[in-house]
Amino acid sequence: MQVGDRFAQMVSFAGYLPEKQVSTKSFAGIEDLPRSLDFVRLTGIESHHEVSKDQGSFELAIEAAKKALLRANLEASSIDLIINASVSKMDKNLSQHLSPSYATSIANELGAKNAQTFDVSNACASMMTSLMIAESRIKSGNVDYALIVSGEFITPIIHEAKRRNLYLHPRALASLTVGDGAAAYILGPSKSSGRIRFSEPFTLAQYNKHCIGQASKKHRGPQMRTKARDLQNGVINNLGVFLQRSVNYMNLKWEEIAHTYSHPTTPKAVKKGAKIAIDIFGEINFLHNDSSDTANTASTTHGVLLEKSQNSGYLKSDETVFMVSFGSGLAIMAIHFNLPEGVENW
Amino acid sequence: MVVILSWESRKIGDTQLLKSTLKLAKKVVKDADLELSDIGLIVHGGVFREHFRTEPAFSTHIQGGLNIHCTGIGFESPSCFSFDVTDGSCSPHIALQSIADILPSIENKYALLCIGDDRPSKNSEWNQDSYCVVAVMALSGNGPKLISVDYDNSNLDTNIVTSGYFDDEIKRNKTETSGQMVSNEGKYADDYFSGDNRWLSGQHMHEFLIRMNKHDDTLEHCIVDWSGKSTTAKWEF
Repeated sequence: MQVGDRFAQMVSFAGYLPEKQVSTKSFAGIEDLPRSLDFVRLTGIESHHEVSKDQGSFELAIEAAKKALLRANLEASSIDLIINASVSKMDKNLSQHLSPSYATSIANELGAKNAQTFDVSNACASMMTSLMIAESRIKSGNVDYALIVSGEFITPIIHEAKRRNLYLHPRALASLTVGDGAAAYILGPSKSSGRIRFSEPFTLAQYNKHCIGQASKKHRGPQMRTKARDLQNGVINNLGVFLQRSVNYMNLKWEEIAHTYSHPTTPKAVKKGAKIAIDIFGEINFLHNDSSDTANTASTTHGVLLEKSQNSGYLKSDETVFMVSFGSGLAIMAIHFNLPEGVENW
Repeated sequence: MVVILSWESRKIGDTQLLKSTLKLAKKVVKDADLELSDIGLIVHGGVFREHFRTEPAFSTHIQGGLNIHCTGIGFESPSCFSFDVTDGSCSPHIALQSIADILPSIENKYALLCIGDDRPSKNSEWNQDSYCVVAVMALSGNGPKLISVDYDNSNLDTNIVTSGYFDDEIKRNKTETSGQMVSNEGKYADDYFSGDNRWLSGQHMHEFLIRMNKHDDTLEHCIVDWSGKSTTAKWEF
C-alpha cells in the first residue's frame, strides 16, 4: 500500500469537555447502591462532564474538530477524509443517527466539501481503528489530510441505570462510570518513517457479550449492560503478553516512551494495568491517568486525556506517546506516535 | 487493492443476519480452500442493527460465532481483528476499502467481507428486502479485483437523514427518515451497474455480485445512497 517515501504523522489533536460538571456522589452515593458500595472509592471517579440542553454527540464533535483544525492551521476544505468514530451518535432529544454516516453531517457542518466520509464502529476502540485506516490511506497516497473525530453523549445511560433497581440489575452499575466528551485527531503526510506505529490489533470475541449498548426498550435513550469484572479480567489476563508482543512488533524501547495513556475505564483499573506493565518493563516515565474528573468518555478518552496533558503543559514537540485502547468486543490495540511540532504552544 | 476469492449471498428474514452470515461464512471459506483459522480480519458494513445496538461491533459477533482466534493472546498466537463501518447504502464499498487499508498490516492475509442489515425493531417501517452477503477477500489471487473506489458528494441532500427514536405514544423504538428522497431505479450497461437507490446495502452488493459473474473485463459498480451521495467501485476480471 505504501507509495515511495510517503508516511503519516500526527498533525494535531484536540479534546473537548462540556462545561457542566456532575459529582459522582450526587447520583451514586453510598445510600443509592447495593451493599453500601462506596462508588468513588471503588472507581476513583469523582465527577464527569455532561452536555448542556442544546448539545448532543454532533455538537461535541464539532467543537473538537474545529479546535483540531485551528491547531493544525488547516481549512476544512483541505481535509480529504473524515472518519467519525462516535459510538453514541445521539442528539439532544436522544435520537440515534443511523444514515448516512455521521461523518457526512460533520463534514457538511465544517465545510469539508472535498472529503470522503464514513463511520467506524468498534466501541471504545473506534477512534484507534479509524486512526489505523487513516494512516494507511495517507501512506498509500490517496489522502493528504484526515480528520478522525468523535463526540460521545453517553450520560443518558447513567439516568437509565438509575431508573433501574441496581440491586436487581448489577450489570447496569458500569453505566455510572461514564461522562460526555469529544476528541479529534488530524493526520497528515510525512517524509519520515515511524512517526506513527500501530500494534497488531486483536479482537478477543469470547468477550463479545460482556458489554452491550443498545436502545432501551421501555424508555427514550440508550442503555448499557456490562459484566464489568469478567471484562476487566479479560483485559488484565491478556495485557502482559499484549504489551510485550506490541513493544516488540512496534520496535519500541519502553524506557524511551515519554507519555503513556490507557483507556480509562476507571482510574483504579488503569492502576492495575500499570502494575502489570511495570512488573514486565520497569517504571513508566509518565502515566497520564487523570480521569477522576472526566470518567470514561468512550471512544474519546485518549483525546480528552491528551488535551488535559497539553493544557497542563506536560507535552513537548516530538516527544513520544504510547496509547493502549480497549473496546467492548473485546478489541485490544495500541498506537505510538510523535507529538506534533509546536504542541506546547497551542 | 483486494481480490474476491469466493462469495455467497441470499435474501434473509428481518432479523436473520447473524445466523445467515455465519452459515454463508463457513461456506465461502470452504469454497476458497481455506480454514476459518486463516481469517485475520472481519469487516461488516451495514446500517441497521437489532435493538439499535451500538456496541460491540456486529463483526465481533461474527468472529465469536465462527470461533476464530477468540480466546486469548499468546506470544506466537494468530489473531483476528473485527470492526464495522457504515455510510448508508454505500457501506459495502467502505467495507471493501477498509479491508484494502488494513489487511496488509494483518498477519493472516485473508479477510471476511460481511454486508447486511437487521430490522432494528418490530415498529420500524421495513419496506426493503434484507440480504446477507459474505465474501473471502485477499490481497492477491484468482478472482475479481477491486481497482479503486471513488466517491461523489455533489448530489448529497443533507436533509435526508435516517434516525432511531423512541415513540412516546406507543412506547416503542422506531426509525424515521426525514427529507424527500428522489427514487432512482438504477442503470445496467455492459461495463456499468447502478442499483435502485431504495435498496439496502446488502441488496446493492447481492445484485452486483450476480451481474459480476457474467463479466470478463471491467465493471463499474455505483451505489447511490438515499441521501444522494454515491460511491463507485471499479472491478477488473
